[in-house]
Amino acid sequence: MNRFPRLLALLPLLVLPAFAAGAATPAHDLYLFGTLNSRGRVAGSRDTALNGLFRRAADGSFAHCGVNYPAMLAGSFDPRDVRVGYVAALSGVLSTTDGGQTWRIATGWDVTEPKGVCVDPSAPDTVYAALPDGVLVSADRGRTWARREHGLPARGKYTQVVTVDRTRAGRVLAGCETGIYLTEDGARSWRVVQPTRETVNDLQQSPHDPQLWLAATQSAGALVSRDGGRTWQALPGVPSARALYNVAFDPARPARIALASWTYGLLTSEDGGATWTERNAGLPASHQVWRTAIDPDDGRLYAAVESEALYLSGDFGRTWQNAGLPGSRIQSFAFVPKAQP
Amino acid sequence: MKKLSLLLFLATWLAVPGGAQPSYSGPVPPPPTDVRPDALRRAYLGRVAETLDWYQSAATPGQPLTREQLLVKLVRRQDAAQVSQRVLELLSGPQSGDMFWMFPWTAVAYLGRDQLTPEARAALRDAWRTYFPMRGDTENHWAMYYTTLYLMAELYPDEPGTTWFTGKSSAENLAEAKAYLIHWLDLATTVGQGEFNPTHYIGEYAIPMLYLAAWAQDPAMRQRGRMQLDWLLADLAANTLHGVLRGPNARTDDTSAIERWNALASYFSWTMFGNTPPPANYGGWGVYFALAAEHYQLPEVIRRIAVDRDHDILQRDRKRSRRRWRYSDVELAPIYKTNYLRRDYAVGSYQGGLADPIQTHVWDVTWAVPDPRGVHNTIFSVHPLSSSQVLQTYFTELPDAMISGLSSQGKPSYDVPDKILGCSPYEQVCQDCDTVIALYAIPAGTRFPHINGYFSRDLRQVTEDPSGWIFAQGGNTYLAYRPLAGYEWQHLLGYRQLTAAGGGYRWERVDHGAQGDRLLYSPHRHNGTIVQAASAAEFASFAAFRAAINALPLEFALDPVPTVKLTTLRGRQIVATYGQPPVVDGVPVDYSRWKLFEGPHLNAEVGSRRLTLTHGRLTRVLDFNTLTVTDQVAP
Repeated sequence: MNRFPRLLALLPLLVLPAFAAGAATPAHDLYLFGTLNSRGRVAGSRDTALNGLFRRAADGSFAHCGVNYPAMLAGSFDPRDVRVGYVAALSGVLSTTDGGQTWRIATGWDVTEPKGVCVDPSAPDTVYAALPDGVLVSADRGRTWARREHGLPARGKYTQVVTVDRTRAGRVLAGCETGIYLTEDGARSWRVVQPTRETVNDLQQSPHDPQLWLAATQSAGALVSRDGGRTWQALPGVPSARALYNVAFDPARPARIALASWTYGLLTSEDGGATWTERNAGLPASHQVWRTAIDPDDGRLYAAVESEALYLSGDFGRTWQNAGLPGSRIQSFAFVPKAQP
Repeated sequence: MKKLSLLLFLATWLAVPGGAQPSYSGPVPPPPTDVRPDALRRAYLGRVAETLDWYQSAATPGQPLTREQLLVKLVRRQDAAQVSQRVLELLSGPQSGDMFWMFPWTAVAYLGRDQLTPEARAALRDAWRTYFPMRGDTENHWAMYYTTLYLMAELYPDEPGTTWFTGKSSAENLAEAKAYLIHWLDLATTVGQGEFNPTHYIGEYAIPMLYLAAWAQDPAMRQRGRMQLDWLLADLAANTLHGVLRGPNARTDDTSAIERWNALASYFSWTMFGNTPPPANYGGWGVYFALAAEHYQLPEVIRRIAVDRDHDILQRDRKRSRRRWRYSDVELAPIYKTNYLRRDYAVGSYQGGLADPIQTHVWDVTWAVPDPRGVHNTIFSVHPLSSSQVLQTYFTELPDAMISGLSSQGKPSYDVPDKILGCSPYEQVCQDCDTVIALYAIPAGTRFPHINGYFSRDLRQVTEDPSGWIFAQGGNTYLAYRPLAGYEWQHLLGYRQLTAAGGGYRWERVDHGAQGDRLLYSPHRHNGTIVQAASAAEFASFAAFRAAINALPLEFALDPVPTVKLTTLRGRQIVATYGQPPVVDGVPVDYSRWKLFEGPHLNAEVGSRRLTLTHGRLTRVLDFNTLTVTDQVAP
């Protein structure tokens, strides 16, 4: 079993944080949450592979960490000590205090199938979880939890993602079935800032401009906010007929953005979202891209192609190489700063 | 999506032994003639023993015991050293199976607590630390997960979180499991069971409840297990026709929807009531019930409800849908079931709409046959819905993978146009005794905008009458089926499972030709089906039945929405209009007034937590408010 490395700086540690790229030695560890024997897997299946959390090794391969758990969806780590982490998993929110060696189901029977989890980088004792029936908050590092849903609708509060504004404690955006919701008081109250007809699948804050946010949605295409998530507009040039699953900023090059879609494959923009290009040549013919990410150290682009493999591009999608994990479903990526010697 | 057809699961999980089962391959078991309590108990334990014997006899000398075989040895207190060694072997490598792993090993832990060696017991205990089973996402998963977690926490009290996969102490695990189980029982006994009347998943509830009844140390939890098992079996008894579960099911599969007997439910009918053969391999899971079955005593009133079909039975019940996460204003939608049982046939339905997204069966007429094995003794129609949005309503997953994943997850028919399994938001059903009217208003643009009517190969005298009715006979039942729109006949293709490279399932369609089942394919979005059934004995001839049906007033229109005005064979006038409550003899059906159970044998008020079972002079009251069971015998 591997340990999460110690963190050296109080920096945001969520998916794709802002860090300088280009160092010879990667400054970050890459963690993946996923399933290797995803095809046909149902509850009760005989597992033929290790699933759950994987860490990238020095040679670029991925090694399994900790327990074999096939339905880990997303994770978030405490910036003060990245051995402390939280994972949205089928059984609830799992927490670890020893870098993933041991886990505790931090929630009870009344919490099921969280879709996302996010530590507040400015108040790291506080953890938010996106639930299929609302939002859950812990103010004590996952020891106790409370529903915080005032302002969310009674129905339509299926929540796929919660993302904390890294510049202000308690300021959180939630991607729900009925739109994007904003809280500025630690989820004591929410208000809708952008209604949608179907689920908002991802919300990301630009590592370069904290006022810039992007959303990937199921049927409203990609949305952009330039005022910290208060108002949103459709991002032109992005198709909207079918679902977009996630969005990734390049932490090194502000103009580069990537979108993942089952239908459209991998979409990239190199002009800050003004124009978009499908970058599917070199991916499997299905190019059903479940997740994408951009390495903060070298700008390499990842595409997790459903039940195929993980793919890697060094030229922002113009060419691709197979990066392993055959047959996998990668649910999310997390780049975590390496420990200094 | 983490659901699994039980039979398919069994195919991969259980080492099913070969050899004939006497009760399966032999003649249909005769109804019990000696109904004295001690004789019934002996017969019950005899069936239990037969199940255990069959598993035990399948052990091959020199070959390692399967988990089921070692369980039988533990039940019979044989070869503890060999069993202990085998436990160590089975637990020596990586484990998998989630809650399907938990309950067999809970049985090993309890049956072996005074037989296994200290090393084997230690290995078993440690497996609950090192292996991290997932909790799943359905009620049956949770029933298994929390019942077994509860029992293991009771067996190993006062141990810290570091010794459990949950990271929680024994006390925390116990409290969480107990809280969930009470919550679930509360739901089931107030607003109705989800996953109601399942053909296979009945085992996933009955087995955990039996284990709770057998092994819980807390007398209140033991009592809850026993009472809920009574509740489940009473519901089974009231929905079986000579042991065969028929009528609507929250969840079933492509096989059991048409060969109604071929389901794990038949194992429970056989074991409990002795009135139908058990399915092959005792349903696969029979052994898990049998190993603790001696701890349960079937109440006589339930047995009588199951076996007495001398009088017509009309039962109306309330159930609830699977939990809805998206695209719905309600979390748990009410299900209103109608159940009409006669000696020769049974008619069952719920009001239509969505109960569960993938394996629901909404309505049918099923006729009795002397030997149900291999017989497709049912008739019904469906809209073959395939919808990502509906899947998203019930499953918390991203949309695109769901439909494509179902086939590889053992649900081959979900996205095929000729499927006969599933419910639809565009189907509305009205039943009055032995008449069913199913209306369909499918929006333009819907995938598979047509209706499939199921016509069994076992029907006789199938006659397309110039009136538009299709007449047929099944067993001693006359059937009249009226499609409301044009149709054509197709062969209904079967499924053959293939080896799948890379995991999951692959399927091949099989055409049984003219000897197989047929599909009435009706490619019209506004559509409908009327079925009326009657006992052959009620008419002088099949021709007389046809004449009687043709003489009945019938008016219908398909636009702007389907509507039917019909007088039934029983002289009742039904007006059914899509989108409106049905009207019977001028009175609109008011579903809001339906009780949790209402009929001659099962009665309960919504919200009551109290079920009254009645047959003749016998009454049993299951009261979850006080955890009391009260039996009465009328003078």
